[in-house]
Amino acid sequence: MFISGITDTGALPVLEKTVQFAARRHELIAHNIANLSTPNFQPRDVSVTGFQAALAEAVDRRRARAAGRGPLDFPGTREVRPTAQGLRLRPMSPSHNVLFHDRNNRDLERTMQDMVENLTAFRAASDLLKNRMDLLNAAIRERP
Amino acid sequence: MYGVLDISVSGMVAQRVRMDTIAANLANRDTILDAEGNPNPFRRRSVIFTPGDPDATSDRARQLGVHVSAIEEDQGDFRKVWDPDSPYARPVGTPDAGYVYFPNVDSVTENINAVDAVRAYEANVAAAEATKSMLAQALRLIA
Repeated sequence: MFISGITDTGALPVLEKTVQFAARRHELIAHNIANLSTPNFQPRDVSVTGFQAALAEAVDRRRARAAGRGPLDFPGTREVRPTAQGLRLRPMSPSHNVLFHDRNNRDLERTMQDMVENLTAFRAASDLLKNRMDLLNAAIRERP
Repeated sequence: MYGVLDISVSGMVAQRVRMDTIAANLANRDTILDAEGNPNPFRRRSVIFTPGDPDATSDRARQLGVHVSAIEEDQGDFRKVWDPDSPYARPVGTPDAGYVYFPNVDSVTENINAVDAVRAYEANVAAAEATKSMLAQALRLIA
């Protein structure tokens, strides 16, 4: 892309991946909440630590290769796959709560906690992204 | 991102249908006649939830969410009340003669289910609020 040199600088690709991941994971959590009382439904999530570890490795590789410049080569994990439209999640991590009589092992408190944490991660990443964008805008217009 | 609201709304709709069913059960807990006036007690109804939402606006969202796939009648035994003078008592010569059949609705069960439905509805509202704040945050990136 013509402006890829701009959009691939610094922390931008990492923040972009984090925002995409949080947005997709929010969908999963909303699905789990919507199915709180569905019989035989077993909530599934993606592993956040797995995603973070893969992202950290990609960042380390980028640092070693191009001193923190250029595109980020994020290979994804078993559950998170990068596509042209963003990240695609295949949830496989099951809930470890007790199985209720309707064969649903929901855990409302943990699910709500996951949702709040995910929302906070989204906020943090998109705030940082906005800062970066503002900086770029300031550089383009040559005034703050 | 807009599809996420569909998911939470599908959960809210499903829980509301469940609440409607509970209200109908409680309202009819002493209904012993059917619409034609024959002794045919009301049967307790319960909703069956299934994942997926056929009413969603996008293909992706149709696989997520929840919907009510069926409302089933409880085929359990009726409550029996001994009242041989009632015109609706079981006639002599039939099983349970002298008893009046009442609906198999248990108000304690219905009330517990109602509390559960309200809590689940609130959880969906919280998820929808979170989605809204994420959407607002994402729009702020552009503006």
